[in-house]
This record gives sequence, C-alpha cells and structure tokens, in this order.
Amino acid sequence: MLSDTDYRAVEAFLYKEARLADEACYAEWEALWEDDATYWVPAQPRGDTDPRCQMSHIYDNRSRIATRIKLLQSGFRYSQEPASVMRRLISNIEVEKTDAGECIVGSNFLLLELSVQARHELRQWGGRTIHKLRWVNGELKMFWKQVLLVNAAEPLPNLTFLI
Amino acid sequence: MQQATHNGSQFETPVVETLVHDDKVHASLYTDPHIFEQELEKIFYRVWVFVGHESEIPQPGDYVTRQIGRQPVLMVRDKAAAVSVFLNRCAHRGTMVCPADSGNARAFTCPYHGWTYNLSGRLTGVPYPGAYGPDFNKADYGLSRVARCDSYRGFVFASLSLHGPSLAEHLGSASQIIDRACNLSPEGELDLRAGWIKHRYQSNWKMIPENDTDGYHLGFVHSAILKAAGSHYQRFVGDEGSNKGIVRDWGNGHTEIEWALGYQKPFEWFGAAPDKYAAYLSALEHRCGKAEAQRRVFEGPPHALIFPNLFLAEMNIALFYPLSAEESIQWHTPMFLKGAPELNARLLRQSEAAMGPASFLLPEDITIASRNQAGLYARQPEWLELSRGQHREHRDEQGRIVAHVTDEVTNRAFWKHYRAVMSR
Repeated sequence: MLSDTDYRAVEAFLYKEARLADEACYAEWEALWEDDATYWVPAQPRGDTDPRCQMSHIYDNRSRIATRIKLLQSGFRYSQEPASVMRRLISNIEVEKTDAGECIVGSNFLLLELSVQARHELRQWGGRTIHKLRWVNGELKMFWKQVLLVNAAEPLPNLTFLI
Repeated sequence: MQQATHNGSQFETPVVETLVHDDKVHASLYTDPHIFEQELEKIFYRVWVFVGHESEIPQPGDYVTRQIGRQPVLMVRDKAAAVSVFLNRCAHRGTMVCPADSGNARAFTCPYHGWTYNLSGRLTGVPYPGAYGPDFNKADYGLSRVARCDSYRGFVFASLSLHGPSLAEHLGSASQIIDRACNLSPEGELDLRAGWIKHRYQSNWKMIPENDTDGYHLGFVHSAILKAAGSHYQRFVGDEGSNKGIVRDWGNGHTEIEWALGYQKPFEWFGAAPDKYAAYLSALEHRCGKAEAQRRVFEGPPHALIFPNLFLAEMNIALFYPLSAEESIQWHTPMFLKGAPELNARLLRQSEAAMGPASFLLPEDITIASRNQAGLYARQPEWLELSRGQHREHRDEQGRIVAHVTDEVTNRAFWKHYRAVMSR
C-alpha cells in the first residue's frame, strides 16, 4: 500500500511534469529523467505493440531524449518555434507500488495545444500515460513514460512539443 | 486563351498548361480547388499510383486498405497468392466492404445487406436471392477491380484508366531506383511490415514531392538537427563548391537526389561503422560478390521520387495522399531488408528519428510547407521561381539531366511531367 504522503508526492510529480512540458521548460523537464530512461509513444492506441519490430512515434532512450531537448533549445526547431501554447489536465490516477522505492502510475490526460508556428490552430490531444517512478534521495524521478494517444494510428500533425 | 486568376480561378476550368513554365510556376497551382479536382481526374485517377507493397500481405487472405485520390481501395492476396486491388465498395448500395486498415479475411461481407465477396472479388453470396429476377447474374456484381494493376519488385501500382503507358513504360529507366533499394537486401527483397506512421500536412500535396527531392533547403530547414546532433547530411551543406551531391531528372516526373558522390566511406548513409554489420555484409557478398556488395554499401539507398506519390526515402518508404488543395498526408515505414535482422533493428530507431510527426526532420519540412501554403495567398509575385541551376544542367551517360545538389532540376522535372499529364 502506498501511504497518503507518497500518493500526494506522486500526484505532485505528475502535475509538475505536465506544467514543465506545457510551459516548454525543457531543461527542468529533462532533469526529471533517470539514466535508464524509456520515453515511448506507440503508433497504436493500445500498449501492446512490440517496439522492437513495430514503429513508434517516439521510442527514446536517455541519449535520444537529450537530442530531442537540444533540438528544442536550438532556436531552429521550426515546428516548435515559437513553442505551442499548451495546458493539460490530468485525472483518473491509479498508483501501483512495485518493489522498494518504485511505483507504476497510470493517468489520463487531455491536452489543449495552440499551434502557432504557421497557421494558428487549436488542437486537442488525449490519452493515457503510464509513468514508472522511483525515489532517489527523497525525490521522485521518472525512468519510463509511455503515452497511449487516442489517435495514435491516425494521421497526426506535428508532435514535437513534449507530450 | 483563358487567363487564370490567383487564389481560385474565376473560371471553372483553368488551363493548367499556361500556369507551368520551364522556369516558373503559378501560385494558383497550389491554392485553386478547381485545379485540385483536375489533378484527381488527370493524375490520381489515370496514371500509375503506388498502392502498397506485396510484403505487407504475405499470406492468402491478407489485405490492406488504401486510397487512390478520394477512392477507397483494398489490396488483397487471394488463395492462389495473386495480389489484386479492388475498389472498396459493395456493388449493391456502395457501402465500404472493408473498414479496417489491415487484416486477414476469408471473404468480405458487406455489413449492410450481407452480400459476400471472395478474395478474388467474386460475389458469392446474396441473402434472400429469390427476390432478384432470372436475369440477375452474380458474375456481374463482383467488387470492381482497378482498371490496371501491376507490380515491380514487390511495389504494387494501380491505374484507374485502361489506357495510357504500361507500368514498365511509366517507370522507364527509373526502375533502377527501385532496384537500388531492393539490391541492398541479401535476399533481394524488402519487407515493409513495421507499420506506417501517418503525418498530416497543411499544404498542397505537390509540395511533398517537390520538397522530398529538393537539395537546396537542407542546411536551412534542418539546421536544428545538423547543429544539435549531426548526421550524414552534414557533407551536403555549407560551402557550395565542396558539396558533391547532385540531383537527377529520370524522366516521367521521377526525380532524385544522389548523395553517394559525397560519401567517403561505406555505410555512411547508415551512420554506422562497417564492422558493426559484418554478418549483413557477408550475406550480401554471398549474393552478389564482394566488389558489387562493396559498391552497394558505399552508394547506399536511393533518395528518389516516383511520380506521383511514392518516395524512396533512403531507408524509408513513403507514400502520400492529396486531401484538398491545402491538405495532404504522408505515410512512411522503415525499409526493412530481408535477410538483415541486425540492420533492421537499428533502422527502426533511425526511421522514428527521420520521418513522422515526432521525428527530428519532417516536422520542420511540414512547418515550412504550411508557411508556404499561407504565403501563397499573398498575390504578388504571382509566380514561383524555379530557374536555379538552369544554366549548369547537363546530361549524364544515361541521358538523364543532372546538376548540383542545390539546383532545381528536380522541381523542373516534376513540373514538366505534371504539365504533360495535365494537358492530356
């Protein structure tokens, strides 16, 4: 069982991660990651595809997350220059504690993105996120984030912000 | 002669030939919905269009659904292993018989009134047949086949017109482009089963083939990735004189950027040291001999466009769909090589980085394409300039027009064929 204090900490982590992504705080968002990171957005809405033989939208290890962030910070990532204006809501949180110091967190999100790089267009994104978190020196870090987009298999506009 | 106006013609049928010159094209070609309708009729419903790859449907009963222009089609392998392309429409009341993207079926049953078609498209079942008269013959009500269907090394093309050049004539010598891709496989075959990623463009479809083989934009549109991570494209930006790439016009609207002249070692196109892929190289040598295998892994895959909708994007295969004058979709999948598992594993991750909505290259192209589309609504100047490198074009030993990688040979080649097809 997760204590109330731990549950609050997990919830606060999700909100903080969402805010950093929404506000394009790239370095702070990147600092939430552990070195054994997997950042995965499958190309299907369910989480049962095999990323070793099936295409994903994103299947980043730690070094590719760093490249993704460097691009966003370069000033020449035109698909996020200027950055989209975003706010996301998080709910339906379910936490499962695994072994000492780690937990798996499921949550739903609804994201409003105002794309401002060419024509201004308000886009909606939604889905379920699975985070795997661990306590490191009393602080939560993430080492796994899987985003199951409702429309993962459909033609998508640019997805170069932090989802 | 009718004069077209900008941003939507005042006439129902703009005379497209007058809008395409050798060195410039009119902005309305990208914005006019009447021209878009003509393109569906004269290009997508007439010329050979890429539909899919035979490896996507390996077993009898396997199918995928696609579109040709606005028309839904079904590519299916029948019990005798033959591949057919049908219009995805019940002969009774027009219902799409197969709604799924892909799958395996023993037959296709229309959900509306239960009409059933076998894998060869023949109507085999009509519920309550007594109500039809004696003249009703099921043989007259099969799924409609596309007028012509043909394939080249697994690439399946369809034409919705009975008339016109054969697929072999349409491809012409550009079949060598497909050969170059397939010949990287130790089995001589491709395997396109890793799934398609679909990316939405807010731009006219023609910007996709034009940009796909435009060698001029690389150092500008993609400077983020070139600065942040580096790539094999690094050799093709910067000083114009030291950039050894070229562009080629293969005829019939087929165009190519040739990077190989700028490579300095094998596998540069794959960003990998040759010793990492020793098993692959030895399998390839076994197939074609050491010298030929070395040549293939030095030159790498093609970066070429087969008119109108197939893009051999180095180690990816892409196709695109026109939706309206200002909306399009590009799909891509990694070009897995049969007999090269360790190479395919790396390729999967490269393919995610290269193309698609979350990748490191294409989102920038798409953003610029949207700005192009928006900018074209400004009415001055009326024309888009395409003369770059016209004075330094020459013909190579095969008679293909070639020039410096940053020259607009490929745009001119696309539009030359476009004008010919649209004038028929």
